[in-house]
Amino acid sequence: MKVFRSHLLICGGTGCHASGSLNVKKALVAELIKRKLSEEIKIVETGCNGFCAMGPIMVVYPEGVIYMLIKAEDIPELVEEHLIKGRILERLLYREPTTEEIIPTMQEIPFFALQELRVLRNRGLIDPEKIEEYIARDGYQGMAKALTEMTAADIVQEVLTSGLRGRGGAGFPTGLKWKFAAASPGDVKYVLCNADEGDPGAFMDRSVLEADPHSVLEGMVIAAKAIGSHNGYIYCRAEYPLAISRMNIAIAQAKDMGLLGRDILGTGFDFDLEIYQGAGAFVCGEETALMTSIEGKRGMPRPRPPFPAIAGLWQRPSVLNNVETLANIGQLILRGGAWYASVGTERSKGTKVFALTGDVNNVGLVEVPMGTTLGTIVFDIGGGIPKGKKFKAAQLGGPSGGMIPMQHLNAPIDYEKVAELGAIMGSGGMIVMNEDSCAVDMARFFMDFCQDESCGKCTPCREGTKRMLQILVNITQGKGKEGDIELLEEMAPIIKDASLCGLGQTAPNPVLSTIRYFRKEYEDHIRNHRCNAAVCTALFKSPCQHTCPIEMDIPSYISLIRANRMEDAYKVLLRTNPFPSVCGRVCDHKCQTKCRRGKMDEPIAIKFLKRFITDNAPRPKTEPVPVTRNEKIAVVGAGPAGLTAARDLALRGYKVTVFEELPEPGGMLRWAIPAYRLPRNILANEIADVTALGVEIKCNIRVGRELSFTKLNKNYDYVYMAPGAHKSQKMGVEGEDIPGVRGGVEFLRDFNAHEDAWVKGEKTLGSKVAVIGGGNSAIDAARVALRLGADVTILYRRERKDMPAADEEIIAAEDEGIKIEYLVAPLKIEAKDGKVSGITCERMKLGEFDRSGRKKPVAIPGSAFTLAMDAIVASIGQVPDLTFVPKDCGVSVNKWDCFDLAKGSKSQTTDARFYAGGDAVTGPDTVIGAIAAGHQAARDMDAAIRLAGGEPAYEEPAEEKIIIPLIIDEEGEEAPQGKMPELHGPDRRASFVEVELGFSMEDAVKEAARCLRCDAEV
Amino acid sequence: MEKKIPITIDGREVEAAAGQMILEVARENGIFIPTLCHYPGTTKVGACRVCVVDVEGARSLVASCCMPVSPGMIIRTDTKKVRDAQRLIVELLWASGDHNCLTCEQNGNCDLQNLVYWLELETPRFSIQFPKYKQETTNTMISRDLNKCILCGRCIRACNEIQVNEVLDFSKRGSRAKVGPAFDADYIDSECFFCGECADVCPVGAITFRQSRFKGRPWEIQKVKTTCTYCGVGCQMDLNINNGKIVKVTGNRDYSQPNGGSLCIKGRFGLDFVNHPDRLKKPLIRKEKGGELTEASWDEALELIAKKFSEIKKKDGADSIAGLSSARCTNEENYLFQKFMRAVVGTNNVDHCARL
Repeated sequence: MKVFRSHLLICGGTGCHASGSLNVKKALVAELIKRKLSEEIKIVETGCNGFCAMGPIMVVYPEGVIYMLIKAEDIPELVEEHLIKGRILERLLYREPTTEEIIPTMQEIPFFALQELRVLRNRGLIDPEKIEEYIARDGYQGMAKALTEMTAADIVQEVLTSGLRGRGGAGFPTGLKWKFAAASPGDVKYVLCNADEGDPGAFMDRSVLEADPHSVLEGMVIAAKAIGSHNGYIYCRAEYPLAISRMNIAIAQAKDMGLLGRDILGTGFDFDLEIYQGAGAFVCGEETALMTSIEGKRGMPRPRPPFPAIAGLWQRPSVLNNVETLANIGQLILRGGAWYASVGTERSKGTKVFALTGDVNNVGLVEVPMGTTLGTIVFDIGGGIPKGKKFKAAQLGGPSGGMIPMQHLNAPIDYEKVAELGAIMGSGGMIVMNEDSCAVDMARFFMDFCQDESCGKCTPCREGTKRMLQILVNITQGKGKEGDIELLEEMAPIIKDASLCGLGQTAPNPVLSTIRYFRKEYEDHIRNHRCNAAVCTALFKSPCQHTCPIEMDIPSYISLIRANRMEDAYKVLLRTNPFPSVCGRVCDHKCQTKCRRGKMDEPIAIKFLKRFITDNAPRPKTEPVPVTRNEKIAVVGAGPAGLTAARDLALRGYKVTVFEELPEPGGMLRWAIPAYRLPRNILANEIADVTALGVEIKCNIRVGRELSFTKLNKNYDYVYMAPGAHKSQKMGVEGEDIPGVRGGVEFLRDFNAHEDAWVKGEKTLGSKVAVIGGGNSAIDAARVALRLGADVTILYRRERKDMPAADEEIIAAEDEGIKIEYLVAPLKIEAKDGKVSGITCERMKLGEFDRSGRKKPVAIPGSAFTLAMDAIVASIGQVPDLTFVPKDCGVSVNKWDCFDLAKGSKSQTTDARFYAGGDAVTGPDTVIGAIAAGHQAARDMDAAIRLAGGEPAYEEPAEEKIIIPLIIDEEGEEAPQGKMPELHGPDRRASFVEVELGFSMEDAVKEAARCLRCDAEV
Repeated sequence: MEKKIPITIDGREVEAAAGQMILEVARENGIFIPTLCHYPGTTKVGACRVCVVDVEGARSLVASCCMPVSPGMIIRTDTKKVRDAQRLIVELLWASGDHNCLTCEQNGNCDLQNLVYWLELETPRFSIQFPKYKQETTNTMISRDLNKCILCGRCIRACNEIQVNEVLDFSKRGSRAKVGPAFDADYIDSECFFCGECADVCPVGAITFRQSRFKGRPWEIQKVKTTCTYCGVGCQMDLNINNGKIVKVTGNRDYSQPNGGSLCIKGRFGLDFVNHPDRLKKPLIRKEKGGELTEASWDEALELIAKKFSEIKKKDGADSIAGLSSARCTNEENYLFQKFMRAVVGTNNVDHCARL
């Protein structure tokens, strides 16, 4: 035998062929010839390697180094470096998506390392077109054992022992199926292989046929012996040309070697088979339809009984098994049923191959033991969700299955558990969806597929799926009605129950499962015409506008920037947002998460552009609005929610008085957010506009102290309460009450109230400060402490990607020299002389997933350590302080210390004259959320007042017409988001001057031009 | 003796024969289960699903038309689950077609109409949406309005399994599925033999007889059993008579032999001769050479024939007479005719027109 010093295994699956592996192979052959290496190095084209998204893939043995995303142009360098100079070519290696770590060998890449290969054991290792390579890997040994040492009954028993269940989806025990067919009388029986893989997103069977065709043939011969059959068919869809060609090669080779056909291995046993190509109808994957199709008739299912084991193909006893099931058989017989059953769960044995696809980093084929958790597959093997998006759900079982949502990431995947969760195992398609997927739209997609693929034979499937689809389409187009969800829920079980075959019986599953887990999304579409994933385009003008809680007209102001019409742009901002210059600095910009440009490269810097307008255009002047209404309204709390409500009510002619406990208005904007993020004058200007309308703001008045609740109740007709959430949550650790331990917002408030004293050093934290928490206020507190000269460490109990703080804030903190310790939780505050001396922490590791889809940190026993600290700032969350609301006053406060709202209302409390909003209702939320709440309350209060007085509803005054230019560039070139210029150097660390400097005109126009104008209807 | 299988339907213990379907047993015992696609003597397809019943221990509802009984089966035909399913199915069918009974030829004789009434449905929950196919009126015998088709497939099975003409099948799929000849041709442009079996089995008004359009509602029609006059097979059929006129001919499965309810194009559609003005209704005699044929009574005519035949036989012998009978006479009539020629006339010169 010829010996080669190196083997190059190039993936030759359909996926890699599509991404260009044939060209890579051609280039490689040429290069080896050119370098005269052909005699030393052997190229092998293997079947699918499994890591399809990274194709073309090549593994270099004996080292086991795996190269990915190879282009033909890379070959000369690759040969030169690796094969001649013996240096690994790093740029073509795998890079772990979250840590960016480079991993050279297959065994170390989590995608491969965490799999257990049984069905796919030969993938990427053998040349599927060479039977010798299969035989060298124990191929056909199971068959030989079955034919020479075992009786038919022995084989059936072994399969029964293994607990193997049909991998086509239904999970019927394979041994039982064989037993029935074996017992069925008849001299002509058939063994059929179902290779009509048709689920969207599923490619397991194709891959097995392409990578290891002999394993399927071996399984079929064993099945034939078990049931007494001598003829078989492989029903393979014609869309799998490579699989068909490799199967045909395999069949010919097996026949040549006496492993198939007459007198196999000289045992006297005959079994012959042929491939029947299906024309691509999904329903032909259903067993009776498949048989009808082989018979040459229209592929429609027929009723069972009679079952195929009694009367299948041409009314003869038949066994139909899925590709994956059959591919298991050879090894199962060789190693025994007990070996097979050694992995898996109680009722689901062995491994399962999944086609992992969708919004996941590592798209490809994954084989894991039954019972592996969904989270392991998606996050550990799949590498998590790209672009830092959140996992929403995984669709299992394709159009016949259902979604398994975030809260079930710990679910062990086996037949029973999956069914319990409302999905089906199916053939193994696992489509991962992130937060940008709409549940209703997914249900619509799969229903569309099913109604399209319905054969039309039975009424429930033919007409029922059509009508369900119509209802779903209506909902996604904003034409849904009350009662639609209930109608779907009524139809679904009947269609499942009354349909003739599996297609109809499972078609409603995606609808049922999405209603089960995402009913609110359905309701949002129907009642509020909202699609939170910004998918259902009929419901909105643009995804950014739809995602903004106050629906700012983003495309319009962006296009006005491009046209250099800044004054008009400012007017557009103020239509919906009284605080655009604040939001241009501190908004959490949810709009950008759904920006269509982000699908191409990076989202538009909407926040920065907003700020650019307010920095560069004169602010339109605010005129006082005369009081035209008799009702007196009080607002409690001068934060963004209260001030927005006050402004809106004043615009409608109400006399509004705002009561603020602290010395200046602004709420969190003034008292928590530091000036380096939001300069005081910027905020003050926007608040001045509210008072300019006629709103009166009375500071230093706390309701319940300077003004009694009773008086408030008596003196005002309606009250809006938006006191925010200004109290830090306790950590619940020992020593929390020691002087020197502060809450995050309390520290920030104190600093903002006495900035001079802090800056001058009259007040101090000390030189070493620990900040606990991972949210924006933790980062704010840390950055302030740093500016006060402290050495700051942030302690966070999860990983960086789990931090709720804005990414740019975390980066800024790191840039300024703040240390962040991840996976650390406080255990005890240490004290010396009655003052904080340190903090004892525990290291955490990540355990199971929690309901938020993040891995729960679990303490590592014995990992405690102490850090010397002078001060501790605990910023792990805030709660409202609603102690000013007397008990039994009719306004109900819930167990989270937030206001309860009246049923069906978005702002009214349980007392009809009292409204509430902002953080005091939702818990800590965003500025933009608070502004939205303020708008909502103003609308609701005004509507209630008018309704009570029998007046017509309020009509918004006509808006000034601003013509929005439409410039669409024909060819969008990829370009990243514009960078925000920042203050750098020692000035930044030591001062409270604004860090972000704002876009230049050139930056802004360039950025605005990146907008794809997806709002435009052309 | 064949072993009987005990089962329970709606609380009644009944006995069934092995291999019988639930539906058959229920019907034998006077328990009504509605059907649309079911047609005796053809493949049990279980397509329409209105015959679903609840079987204890079954994973889902069961189509009674194609589920064989097994010992101890406990079946309910009247549960809420069954009725809910039947209602939804019938509503879906109703809403998917142009089921406008006002003008439908089958009004009063429509399985879907009966089912809507039986299920007490006021109106479907779905908007009526039918495919707006053009009505097929390109032949004079069968009219097809596929907007009324419920895709039960009875016509297909009648065509393929009863008549074995193999003209009809489904084309397209899902809710776009359509019944018809190959390449979506009209009957007249297809291999169709116009036996009319499809129209006879259609449970709704999708395939109807053109000749009888507007010629009488089902309740005005009187059915008269008769033997087809076209050939000697003796097919049994029903003349559908309104106001003394034959409006159409239908088969009747109850008549069994020889045709079992099936008919051919002639017996089915060749009925216009009955009321044709040219039709001979009385014998004619040419009383003098070169004269006109004039109406005569049967006695006169038979007397004349007897007299002439007797004269001829006497003069030239019996073999100078030959008898030629018609294929449109029945077998019995032809038998009598040859008997007459042989025994009465005394000749073997007998023949028949059907020498094709």
